[in-house]
Amino acid sequence: MIANYLSLSVILFCFGLLGVISRRNVFTVFMSIELMLNAANLAFVALSRLHENMDGHVLALMVMAVAAAEAALALAVVILLHKHKGNLDTNVFSLLRG
Amino acid sequence: MLDFIIILPLLVVGAGAIALMLLASMENLSEGSTALVSIGIFAFAFAVQLMVSVSGNVAPYETAFSGMLTASTFTKVAGLIILACGLFSCMIAQTYFTQNKFSSPEFYSLMMFAASGMLLLTMAAELITLFISLEIMSLAIYVLVGYDRSRIKRSEAVLKYLMLGAFAGAFFTMGAALIYGGAGSTRFALISKYLATNSFLESPVLVAGTLLVIVAFLFKVAAFPFHAWVVDVYDGAPLPVTGFMATGVKTAIFAVFANFIVLDNGMKGVWVDYLFYVAVFTMFAGNLIAIGQNNLKRMLAASGIVHSGYLIIALVAVGTENFTGGVIIFYLAAYAAATLGVFTALAYLGGTDERRDSFDDFKGLAKVRPYTAAAITIFMLSMAGIPPTAGFMGKFYIITDAIRADQMLLAVLGIVSSILSMWYYLRLVIMMYFKEPEESFEVSGVSLAPVGTMILAVSVFAIGFYPVFL
Repeated sequence: MIANYLSLSVILFCFGLLGVISRRNVFTVFMSIELMLNAANLAFVALSRLHENMDGHVLALMVMAVAAAEAALALAVVILLHKHKGNLDTNVFSLLRG
Repeated sequence: MLDFIIILPLLVVGAGAIALMLLASMENLSEGSTALVSIGIFAFAFAVQLMVSVSGNVAPYETAFSGMLTASTFTKVAGLIILACGLFSCMIAQTYFTQNKFSSPEFYSLMMFAASGMLLLTMAAELITLFISLEIMSLAIYVLVGYDRSRIKRSEAVLKYLMLGAFAGAFFTMGAALIYGGAGSTRFALISKYLATNSFLESPVLVAGTLLVIVAFLFKVAAFPFHAWVVDVYDGAPLPVTGFMATGVKTAIFAVFANFIVLDNGMKGVWVDYLFYVAVFTMFAGNLIAIGQNNLKRMLAASGIVHSGYLIIALVAVGTENFTGGVIIFYLAAYAAATLGVFTALAYLGGTDERRDSFDDFKGLAKVRPYTAAAITIFMLSMAGIPPTAGFMGKFYIITDAIRADQMLLAVLGIVSSILSMWYYLRLVIMMYFKEPEESFEVSGVSLAPVGTMILAVSVFAIGFYPVFL
């Protein structure tokens, strides 16, 4: 059983990875990062059941809290960028190249 | 009670940050007094940390809070360096904000939050404590990078840093989950115990987990495959934040990286072979980038990559038995003193909107401001590794350590890279002393940064004479 959960977690993580690398929209990139964090959460909870202790459950909650804080900051940055450029395509942001 | 004594400096800085955030709502709080208060808090925390360090009744590898934190001479000195970095960064900020008007008391508050995250990071001995302290530090730094909301350059820098930082954070979390799966615990002590009885390579989950965690660390210290962001972000960030990021963040991450890598000899043995290549490529990629830069801040960012390379050499050479980390911490102290020194000088030389930023702007500085030019020369010589500065001693310890660990090739490449790096450090010195000034703009305003420059110039030598605790 644990193998199924772990494979799902790894697949979700890889989806997130692909999203970060291939997507050009700032918003989608941040969503992909959230997907990666949640993949880790799934692994934590599944492994916690495997080891029969509560550590993993607690850790998943901690990760969620941090992810929420990060999302709040990311949204603020998205709004800031939208105000400056009116566009959220990463190609637009090219002042700092090299 | 001992547990709380260990985190006392952290409590001071954290309480200071919260108090300052509350005080920020007061109308008549002037910018200058906030800077002084924050400098005072950092100085007090530094004194507390010093007292905790010299009290000496704490055994070298003591854990606190049931194995969540560790306290050794290594972590304590790392804490001292971080608090000193915070202190000097506040001095830089005070001077910087006399010429650039986008400050508010929350700036210093965030600076202290970042410092408390860093302090926790140096002591973390558990993967989730590590993750949370990493994020406390990073979130505060993200906000600081984008603090000047009116400038698009800063916003771009924060976008880049936030995207890559969060990406690295996700890698770290996944790595922590896999290590937890393999070893059944996230505490360093228990992972180490598990690895002592089970072979590291037999557990693919552990191999993958440690790989992801190490990748996250390499991201944060801007080591070779993940170094591209650092030049842009350091250039885009405001000057005080760049100084703090370059020194404080690096100290914290290397402290925890060292604590992690010495967990188990088998695990270290597997990754050292790869860290060898990472160290070599980091040094040479950093040098290549730095040689091509014409902007001083970008050059310093790129030279930060090179210094990360030397520190990775120290990590490769470090032994898992009787780990003290003296070489790493010595180099970090030397690097922090020199880098912050240049940034304190830039704080009062830079002018409004950091106008003086390219090498050409420093032409003939020695004639206009002889003392500052002399101080910058000292910092540059220290970074290049010329005796009798602290930078030379740091490099000397790292190279001898590498030779002792039978990493002859790495030692030779480190020396070659050090010679290459003289090109861009000495270029600035030549600009200051042997060129005629083209245009000079005087900067005015009473400020603390010149004091900081002088203190750091002295400490560059003082650290050099301090024997490393091996």
